[in-house]
Amino acid sequence: MSAAVEIRRLTKAYGPKRALDCVDLTVEEGSIFGFLGPNGAGKTTTLRILTGLAKPTEGEVRVFGHDVVTADNTVRSQIGFLPDVPGFYDWMKAREFLRFAGGLFGLEREALDSRVDVLLDLAGLTDVDTKIGGYSRGMKQRLGVAQALINAPKLLMLDEPTSALDPMGRKEVLDMLLSLRGRTTVFFSTHILADVERICDTVAILDHGHVVAHAPIDELKARYGASKVVIEIAAGADELADAIRGESWAAAVERDTNGTVFVTVSDEDAAARAIPAMVAQRGLALRRMEAGEMGLEEVFVQLVGGDRT
Amino acid sequence: MKGFLQFAWKEVLEIVRTWRIWVLPGMLLFFALSGPLMARFTPEILKAVGGSEMAALVKAMPKPSYLDAYGQWIKNLSQIGLFAIIIIYGGLISAERKSGTAILVLTKPLSRTSYVVAKAAVHAAFLVVSVCITTVITWDVTRLVFHKSPGGPLWSAVVGWLALAIFFLGVMTFLSSLLDSQAGAAGIGLGVFAALGVAGMWEPLQKFSPAGLVGAPTVLAAGKESAILSPVITSVGLAVLLVMAAAEVFRTKEL
Repeated sequence: MSAAVEIRRLTKAYGPKRALDCVDLTVEEGSIFGFLGPNGAGKTTTLRILTGLAKPTEGEVRVFGHDVVTADNTVRSQIGFLPDVPGFYDWMKAREFLRFAGGLFGLEREALDSRVDVLLDLAGLTDVDTKIGGYSRGMKQRLGVAQALINAPKLLMLDEPTSALDPMGRKEVLDMLLSLRGRTTVFFSTHILADVERICDTVAILDHGHVVAHAPIDELKARYGASKVVIEIAAGADELADAIRGESWAAAVERDTNGTVFVTVSDEDAAARAIPAMVAQRGLALRRMEAGEMGLEEVFVQLVGGDRT
Repeated sequence: MKGFLQFAWKEVLEIVRTWRIWVLPGMLLFFALSGPLMARFTPEILKAVGGSEMAALVKAMPKPSYLDAYGQWIKNLSQIGLFAIIIIYGGLISAERKSGTAILVLTKPLSRTSYVVAKAAVHAAFLVVSVCITTVITWDVTRLVFHKSPGGPLWSAVVGWLALAIFFLGVMTFLSSLLDSQAGAAGIGLGVFAALGVAGMWEPLQKFSPAGLVGAPTVLAAGKESAILSPVITSVGLAVLLVMAAAEVFRTKEL
């Protein structure tokens, strides 16, 4: 499989501040790539550079092998892009805007007409005859996704595509992105972890302009999930949790209301030896002890800190 | 080229379907209709409101002619018309940057040069068509009011003014791609207008630069001679250069 996007040592500086600092990323063709990070991490800056709206200070950015700084229309004809807050001509109607967008790609009338019909249907705007100026934010977002697909792009880039949508709208957009798997490479930035967990193959987590994790989503969860232990006991969970907190291998201890203790461990073997002994020493009844799977949200919080989203 | 034509067509539609179709043509139409009537009936109006003293003054004034109507038309174009162009086009490039529409357009296969040139070309055409249509209207109304309206003085003055207006459209295209603020660009544009007025006092600039077109249309509209070929050529040439410079500035800007 070849790379749709290759980013090498990408740095973007605004004065003394580095919005991106030596970022390396590869997005495989046909994959759905989730670009995660807290607000201000540099996600939008990366997308702006990928689409040619901004220029890198240093480093190299290639889309389908073309350098985005010099390639101009070669790259733009193969991509679809939805910015975080899409701006439309308020005096146009949805059909008209899609025809205008398709015309910029030089699409022929017949192909354009049929594609516009399909995309209006996909965006749920077929029967909407009002001007775009009267649309809700969700309707604009759906139209934004539709216009990004007008040229049947090989690479679809979306900046926070679901952040303005209600749950139904989110589901529709995610289902639509999911349906593109294998045909179109989808690169989307978000801070909604559930969206990434639901549809992405691969994820990169960006924090303060640095990539702190970049892996297939299952590998990422397994990598961090392996250091979590779930213990379920009949009674005395508080006592056990307090005892575990005092151990050097216990990085974090949490418990829920029905006697389950979740321990994030720094030394798995030490924990595996010590926990049964601690349970037996206190005369507690152990019902379950297993390596737990850490959700993406926990991975994210662990990697970028829990003080921001 | 397809992208250029598609975007230029969008600009045409935007003019027709938004406030743009009303503001400049509406203002010009008002001046075109009211100018000849004001020229013809001003003495009567003054007599009616000014009493016997004003009546004596009016009697001493020459009888109004079609040249007064032409003068009124060119005076309105040279002052309010140019101010309107400077203010309206202060956001020609920056407005779409600020509204975010430029991002959707420029991530498609449309070069930034095409984007700037299409806007400048369509609005130059809009300006020329608006002024020509309303000039025909004021010409006809002048004929109705004064029963005489030779075309030479009127059209030579309008051609001179149009060259100056196109120069200012070039100035505003450049300023609006340089600055994000429409008010800032308009302010500098008004400064250029004032500077041209001063520069016109120096003969070489008056003869060969757009400064020569600040006063020449008024002279031509009065039925007198004024050499405008050189300043017209210079103004249109400078407008082209300014649009090219605007495209270069915009090409290097981050959106």
